[in-house]
Amino acid sequence: MQSEIELYRPQNLAEALTLLADYGPDGTPLAGGTNIVVELRDGHHNCKSLVDLSHLMELRGINQQNGYIVIGGGTTITELIDHPLIGAHAGILREAARLFANPLVRNRATVAGNLVDASPAADTAPPLLALNAEVQLMSQAATRWIRLEDFITGVRKTLLQPGELMFAIRLPVPSDRSAGAYNKVGLRKADAISVLSAAVMIELDDAGLCKQTGIALGAVAPKPFRAYEAEALLFGKVLGPELITEAARLAAEASRPIDDIRGTAAYRKRVVAVTVRRLLTKAVEVLK
Amino acid sequence: MKYQVKPLPQVNLPELRTVGKPLRKVDAMGKAVGDTVYAGDYSMPRMLHGKVFRSKQSSARITRLDVSKARALPGVACVITGFDVPNARLVSDMPGQTGQKQRAGSDVPVLASEQVRFYGEPIALVAAETLEIADKALSLIEIDYEPLPGVYDPLEAMKPGAPVVTPPDNIVARWKIRKGSMESGFEQADLIVENTFRIPYQEHAYLEPEAGVAWIDERGAITIRVSTQVIEHFRTIARAVGVRQNKIHIQGTMVGGGFGGKEDITIEIYLALLAKHTARPVKMVYTREESFLAHAKRHPYVIKHRTGVKNNGQITASKIEMISDSGAYPYLSPYVLLYTTVMAPGPYRIDNVQVDAISVATNNPYTSAFRGFGGPQACFAYEQQMDDIARQLGLDPLDVRKVNYLRTGDCTATGQVIESATWLEETATRAMAALGEQTPDYGSVKIGQGFASYFQSYGRITWMHDTSQAWVGLELDGTVTIRAGVPDLGAGQANSLCQIAAEVLGVPLERVTIYTTDSALTPLSGTSTATRQLYMSGNATLMAATNVRNVLLNRASKHFEEEIEALDIADGKAFNKSDPSQTLDLVDLAKMCASEGMHLSNLALFKAPFTDPINPETGQGQVWPDFTFGSFAAEVAVDTETGEVTILKAAACHDIGRAINRAAAEGQIIGGGMQGLGYGLMENLIVKEGVIKTPSLSEYLIPTSMDYPNIQAIILESGTGLGPFGAKGIGEPALTPAAPAVASAIANALGVSIPEIPITPEKVLAALDLP
Amino acid sequence: MKPQMITLHINGRTHYVALNPNLTLLVALRDLGYTDVKCGCEKGDCGACAVFLNGVAVNSCLVLAWQADEAEILTAAGLGTSEHPHPLQTAFSDAGAIQCGYCTPGMIISAKALLDQKPHPTDAEIRDAISGNLCRCTGYAQIIQAVQSAAEKMDAGGEG
Repeated sequence: MQSEIELYRPQNLAEALTLLADYGPDGTPLAGGTNIVVELRDGHHNCKSLVDLSHLMELRGINQQNGYIVIGGGTTITELIDHPLIGAHAGILREAARLFANPLVRNRATVAGNLVDASPAADTAPPLLALNAEVQLMSQAATRWIRLEDFITGVRKTLLQPGELMFAIRLPVPSDRSAGAYNKVGLRKADAISVLSAAVMIELDDAGLCKQTGIALGAVAPKPFRAYEAEALLFGKVLGPELITEAARLAAEASRPIDDIRGTAAYRKRVVAVTVRRLLTKAVEVLK
Repeated sequence: MKYQVKPLPQVNLPELRTVGKPLRKVDAMGKAVGDTVYAGDYSMPRMLHGKVFRSKQSSARITRLDVSKARALPGVACVITGFDVPNARLVSDMPGQTGQKQRAGSDVPVLASEQVRFYGEPIALVAAETLEIADKALSLIEIDYEPLPGVYDPLEAMKPGAPVVTPPDNIVARWKIRKGSMESGFEQADLIVENTFRIPYQEHAYLEPEAGVAWIDERGAITIRVSTQVIEHFRTIARAVGVRQNKIHIQGTMVGGGFGGKEDITIEIYLALLAKHTARPVKMVYTREESFLAHAKRHPYVIKHRTGVKNNGQITASKIEMISDSGAYPYLSPYVLLYTTVMAPGPYRIDNVQVDAISVATNNPYTSAFRGFGGPQACFAYEQQMDDIARQLGLDPLDVRKVNYLRTGDCTATGQVIESATWLEETATRAMAALGEQTPDYGSVKIGQGFASYFQSYGRITWMHDTSQAWVGLELDGTVTIRAGVPDLGAGQANSLCQIAAEVLGVPLERVTIYTTDSALTPLSGTSTATRQLYMSGNATLMAATNVRNVLLNRASKHFEEEIEALDIADGKAFNKSDPSQTLDLVDLAKMCASEGMHLSNLALFKAPFTDPINPETGQGQVWPDFTFGSFAAEVAVDTETGEVTILKAAACHDIGRAINRAAAEGQIIGGGMQGLGYGLMENLIVKEGVIKTPSLSEYLIPTSMDYPNIQAIILESGTGLGPFGAKGIGEPALTPAAPAVASAIANALGVSIPEIPITPEKVLAALDLP
Repeated sequence: MKPQMITLHINGRTHYVALNPNLTLLVALRDLGYTDVKCGCEKGDCGACAVFLNGVAVNSCLVLAWQADEAEILTAAGLGTSEHPHPLQTAFSDAGAIQCGYCTPGMIISAKALLDQKPHPTDAEIRDAISGNLCRCTGYAQIIQAVQSAAEKMDAGGEG
């Protein structure tokens, strides 16, 4: 266990922001700890001053505001599964939460923590990307919303600046004419790191043509990403089997996986094509 | 239903009062409420914390080792290197067990001082006031290596000119079987089937990492509280540490899972050295990663089968070659190889058999015991071979096996006559029937069913001359005490002895207390390995309890003025069988015996059959006391687009002779089966240049509660085993057939077999020959 | 950073302890003698160290002890004793759900967390609830059976 750390437990959000401002680059927000505590144990975490957010209720909760579902950054993965708003409007996020790690970890891990950790295999990222989520970064000085897609910049790299924490995540409430599907491919049926984490959302217009899509993939590139080429192919068209298969092929082409202990790049690409095809088919079925 | 299930042969097993019942195990509640104290839970006054400094090279010469900075760190009590303890070697040469070169068996330096042969090899020991200081001390140890050429593939290691891990050569052990004639066997064949199978490492992944505490007691004995399957290692430890055997005292704890991984000496030798050098109590607990590095793995094998068969499936000749990777040190590799060799042809009657087996040293992680001890590797190969024979002959897999299944009175390939029941067809048809009708294929998902049959020994190699002791005593309040040096791994080893004593002495199970696993205070009962405790210590307990019972009945016969045969003991009372109202409370009976100076306790020693070693040139001779037989069946769904395999149904049917505790026996069957399913589909120890790339439970995956369905456990009781009440053994056999059964089911689904486990999605897609 | 005094309420007892900030709750609990909380991996991969932290089941190896300052902690040993066991402890003992026992305390915590939310769980819900608790001995079947049997008993007896 890393020995030289400092840990602060602010009474409230304002104090947390002050502490983060004071410690600047040395300060790290600590939420559920399911990544950071392991990194500390392995001596892999290089931040000295941890600011504990795990007890701050201001960061938790899910509600609907101005056409958005707003999720507090400190909301746990378990709370995502249980909340009716997520079930009603963000089924793919609920599904990703349901397949996330295991219940003991889900009870502790937070949405913001999962996104800030920015693992290529972060399982909440694909559904949130597909749902066009934005994240709210807050510092003592300012608050800003940025698109999740822009927030994660690379393997464990984000736009989070020293002094900032992720206060909330919001996603526009999807229209009634939209449907989604999510699946995770892992080497085990529970508590597995993803070989692929894939989410799709589609919205059809009154004529049944594709109005909007979101196809997002995790664990097959340096960061979770949107497969825009595939999405563009679908726009304005009737989503038939051949078109879906071609879009799935484009999604596979857009992925840039690596060989690792969980699978080869070649296998991952194949599974992307199969999974995206199946998810699009399933979403279209739901809208029929 | 695919197969007809025929009625079992008539068996008359007497109904027993305690034995066979699914009673609460005596150790269960303590574990449920957290009272059970495991090895890592102990603390001692003035205790130091120990750590091991390990090699970061797979093959290298140590050119410089400087521990002076570590020694100088305040709070460090001692740092020990191989130069400090030049005689500390783990040498075990159990009498008569080899028939091999002298190197068979273990001869391992406790601490490497000149050369390291595997990644993680221990080099130095540290004891310090706190764990943090011990960790810091490790980081202050300075070492320089000169890399040496390493060898990581046993096939390469056998070639001339390959780097030699330990002179004179890389051959750790060889075994042979020569029975009948290959020439005439293959001449009689209508078809010859050849296949090569590859079977991987397996990691035990017990939930409790290795742990222990050692101190020097008031007698000057080094006392070691440790989680181990073998308290008899005190002898080896005494030699390595340089003290007399009666000055090493092992107090075994409840073991948080062993499966063979705590069969070799683990942490206890370091504890003994540190306690001796510091004269203070020392505690050592491995992290999960260190546990992965430090203990042995199941042996990877390459096994080639060449089988001659008649058109009806009858095997005329079986020629088998196998190579196992022993890693850097032999440990139990020669014996594991013997098991694989003798079980190689499977539970089949074959007149012409030739087996050539070699275990080869490499710079990979070392390999040794793991539940099944070479049997699962043999089974995967022979059962896939049987399936392929069936496919090539266009016959049903069961029909091919039926022609060849061993029957009572038949000989194994080494000429050992099987005297117990061999219910192979009985178990195969029942396991398959339990699956029910096959689920239809859907979409890209193909469904298949398959099964595997096996035989697996219980009890140790008969030329090891195995014995076990147990002490049973009746206390004056009518309770029963058992003392036996049996390590309890959670499989019910101790509980079974209690149920046996309760049965014989006619008391309820709650009145029996057992004290186990103390090398100084409990009679030595031998190792909790080789599926031997129920057979060996069960029989010793049965003998001791029966001797006490005879004393009681003798005294009761005077009291009732009846013949002994007219009396029985049950529910804490002796009684007259013809008039059960005539009773004598066990408490009163015990007092009568005690006041008359009769012996209310007994120490019994049970001996397994003792034989001479097999002939090293032909392999002929007896190898084990007896075998357990059974079958495992599985139904799988294979997604042909992603390669993912889902087990839909699984069933295991074993003839265990007699269940002593039915729930515990089912627990063995289901739990062992699950380890076998993991081995077949999921568990993937990745080793590159000798380095384990998956040293954690998030990288080396074992089954969770979500992965596989409940394994239906079907217990058959032939009553023909050599254990108490006709019991056989089930600990290891439970695992053996699971992986091959799943492989059979996958092959049945796909129409193409995969000769290598774990059957990962990628291997499935490769087998389907898609790009 | 210096050790700091924190307050831990464990199984109904209150402890005031001075701890370093880098210590996990797992280490703190075990050092205080709550050795029923088992250490299997220290990475949240096995669930052997599960405890209730303010009523929520968590891996104590993933919580820094300071984060549990003033929290109510309940371990498996706090649920019952061998004289007065919790229905889950009885059911685990009777169903053959315990072999080596090393996973058992954490497993019971996860099972209780489930029954607190869903007194009549399905087999699938039980499997999901214990999916973060590895067991290498039992193959899970008898554990699932034990949770079902405890649920029935608790329903009938109003216990737990």
